[in-house]
Amino acid sequence: MKATLERRVALIGGVAAASLILVGAVLAVSVSGHGLETAAAAEPAVKHVEMPSPDALPGAALSTRLTNSNAFAQSAPGLTFQQRRDFFFGNRLFNTNWAVAPGSVTKFDGLGPTFNRVSCSGCHTRDGRGRPPLNDEKQLDSMLIRISDGQGNPLPQYGDQFNDRANHGIPAEGRVAFHWETQKGEYADGTPYSLTKPVFELTDLNFGPLGDDVRISPRVASEVYGVGLLEAVPEKEILAWADPDDSDGDGISGRANYQPDPETGEMLIGRFGWKANQPTLRAQNSGAAAGDIGITSPVHPDENCPPAQTACADAPTGDHPDLSEEFLRKLTHYTRVLAVPVRRKPKAPEVMKGSRIFADIGCAACHRPSMTTGKNTALDVLNDQTFHAYTDLLLHDMGPELADNRPDVKATGTEWRTPPLWGLGLVPVVNGHLRLLHDGRADGFAEAILWHGGEAEASKERFRSLSEADREALIAFLKSI
Amino acid sequence: MSTSIKSRRGVIALSLLLAGGTIALPAQSALASGAGAIPAQFAMDGGSSYGATLEILGYARLVEASYQRSYEDAKKMRGVINEFLDKPTEENLARARKAWIDARPAYLVTEAFRFYEGPIDFADEETGEEGPEAHINAWPLNEAYIDYVKGDADAGIIHDTSIPINDKTILGHDQTEDEADVTTGWHAIEFLLWGQDFNDDGPGARPASDYTPGDKFNDRRRLYLKTVTQMLVKDLSWLAMSWNMDNPNAYATDFLKLPQKEALGRILTGMATLSGFEMASERMAVALDSGDQEDEHSCFSDNTNNDFIYDQKGIANIWFGEMGDKEFAGIQDLVARVDPDLEKKVTAQIEKTTKAIAAMPHPIDQVLASPKGSDGRVKMEQAVTDLVEQGKMLVEVGKALGVKIVVATE
Repeated sequence: MKATLERRVALIGGVAAASLILVGAVLAVSVSGHGLETAAAAEPAVKHVEMPSPDALPGAALSTRLTNSNAFAQSAPGLTFQQRRDFFFGNRLFNTNWAVAPGSVTKFDGLGPTFNRVSCSGCHTRDGRGRPPLNDEKQLDSMLIRISDGQGNPLPQYGDQFNDRANHGIPAEGRVAFHWETQKGEYADGTPYSLTKPVFELTDLNFGPLGDDVRISPRVASEVYGVGLLEAVPEKEILAWADPDDSDGDGISGRANYQPDPETGEMLIGRFGWKANQPTLRAQNSGAAAGDIGITSPVHPDENCPPAQTACADAPTGDHPDLSEEFLRKLTHYTRVLAVPVRRKPKAPEVMKGSRIFADIGCAACHRPSMTTGKNTALDVLNDQTFHAYTDLLLHDMGPELADNRPDVKATGTEWRTPPLWGLGLVPVVNGHLRLLHDGRADGFAEAILWHGGEAEASKERFRSLSEADREALIAFLKSI
Repeated sequence: MSTSIKSRRGVIALSLLLAGGTIALPAQSALASGAGAIPAQFAMDGGSSYGATLEILGYARLVEASYQRSYEDAKKMRGVINEFLDKPTEENLARARKAWIDARPAYLVTEAFRFYEGPIDFADEETGEEGPEAHINAWPLNEAYIDYVKGDADAGIIHDTSIPINDKTILGHDQTEDEADVTTGWHAIEFLLWGQDFNDDGPGARPASDYTPGDKFNDRRRLYLKTVTQMLVKDLSWLAMSWNMDNPNAYATDFLKLPQKEALGRILTGMATLSGFEMASERMAVALDSGDQEDEHSCFSDNTNNDFIYDQKGIANIWFGEMGDKEFAGIQDLVARVDPDLEKKVTAQIEKTTKAIAAMPHPIDQVLASPKGSDGRVKMEQAVTDLVEQGKMLVEVGKALGVKIVVATE
């Protein structure tokens, strides 16, 4: 059974692209061919954004001076004895390979029955970032595929996430196949570039066809450090940057996602995930444990077996829940206090120049340099910290090229949350790659920028028009933060 | 040849890509050198003026002698394991297990030389080279990745006949999908000798007949054990070479040329991190907090007590400048000159920690299985407290010497 997903997605993408091209045409004309003067006249002004001083610590009190391969795995300084001990236990949970129940280590069994990986660190290796399969790798090792119908509802046979692995004797949901597609372009100075993207296809489906209106959204694992600060920002502080109807006319909206807390049902602003579809670290972590590893918790007490998957539902289970309240609390604490590495060479002249370019070409309009946490947060160390993640935690229309066309709570099929940029310069040191964007298609900062569209189209075009030296300065800055 | 290795740190993958897809044991392609590759990061203002040439040289000699000893002990173990494979009787299996236990201490004392990007875990930002630590002593093990486990008789590389067994393919599967997918090193050999431990009051009990030749999977298991044992010996040989002071291209030569605060920073970081993070937290506190009997470092052999005893011995060796009956200039001598009161405090703490670890009941899995408040738990908690305190004091030693020490998380 092989779904014709790829074609379907291409079709959906095509329709969306067509409608967006009409919108984008104004911009496209303004920047193409006839010189930058026309473009400049048609473009809205870049919003002025203050850049942080090179001396500012990215994670404020939640910073670590380590910049080696363990740079993402450090706790905040100044924790109490018990907070540090709980951090270490959370670290252990994060690195634990969950075993099939019944296992000899009963506290850590309950894997699956279907899953993506057997541990958190399997995808977030060293608390870092995942990537698409490269070279001759055949399967997804640090990313996954979200699925839904056209309205964003889970599929009755497969749920909302494709589990391509399963315990022995249990059918996995299927296999993820992929190939790469290349497109070419050039900078304004004539330097050519080519961009590749993975195109995914769900095959060997064990529970029937996916249906006519399926949407698939490939997502790499995000880096984990600093999320405690993102959680501790008051909603008001996030909304201060939102501009849902672009009332300031700079071409950039910024909308908040909202979703019910999985335990209380209270509508909360989204902060985590590629579409800002998780409101708290507790929700994010328990959701990932259930969806990615098949580990139940007080938040998600039921095994993740869609109705059609009877062998999954009948499989032996571990403790109820697999992840106890105490363990979930420690895991959440662990993620909350993971520190952000300090900047590398922030005062190098090229880096300082890159910082100015970052603001000048409009990157900072969405990649918000600074935010401040609340005064009464989950932990003293997180209170009242001004930090520099380069995200506004808001959704932006990123254009048809990046669109997954899959609605996610209040996010549309073209919107993505602005991802934080802090620490990315160390991903090569920690994870041995620098694959960026939701599906890891971009190999390095320049490619990631060149994929930007939609609200970021104008900034992308300004980047494309920079001199080589200025492009390199911008990238030197990105590497340093 | 596959280039799909995703190493535990990822950096190996990077170097492999750069190298155009050839797999070599990256850190072994050359002796680790370039001790100056990491920027001077330890020196801080303050601290008394002092000379530490003798003690830094003493440390380098201690490291050299320690790795040499570990290499020799591992060779002895290899000999006994090969005798077992030649004649796989229960008696010879017992001898092979004893050889493993006897070879462990000489390696364990070298763990105090970790955590500062020396040859053992050296990561060169330029080349992406990584040291052999992850191949030597990685833990925990996802044992089903290597061989059969309870409930899955066909598990692991040994039962996957699509994979030829040699050093390259074994390394090619090492920690590719998860950090715990360990295929090599001490604990892989331990699992191959003991098997899973399902005994409440004893170690694992793999039968010697697992190694009777002539059966397809037994033959693969025989080859696997022989290969990973040889790989361990080779890694240890490389470490001994890297600290060989007669070799001008070795790390030891560069180490001795470092500014003294940089060298002392590395020495103290290794000791403090092993004490305050690796032993206290990673190997003891998390096991106590999980309350799971088999959540221990050498769970197949029930040899975990020795792991703690000899790791602590490694810290003491550096402080006192000793290895068995050999003597070296120890860090203790230096601190006694700079801050005699602090020297007395640290010496007392090291002795106290050593006693606290010796007082822990054997085997550790019984402590982990015991209820909160049990005598064993109280004793193990005391060891945790002492290790944390010892780590803090080594940070204090750093301050007295004008060296900034950070106890980092792995």
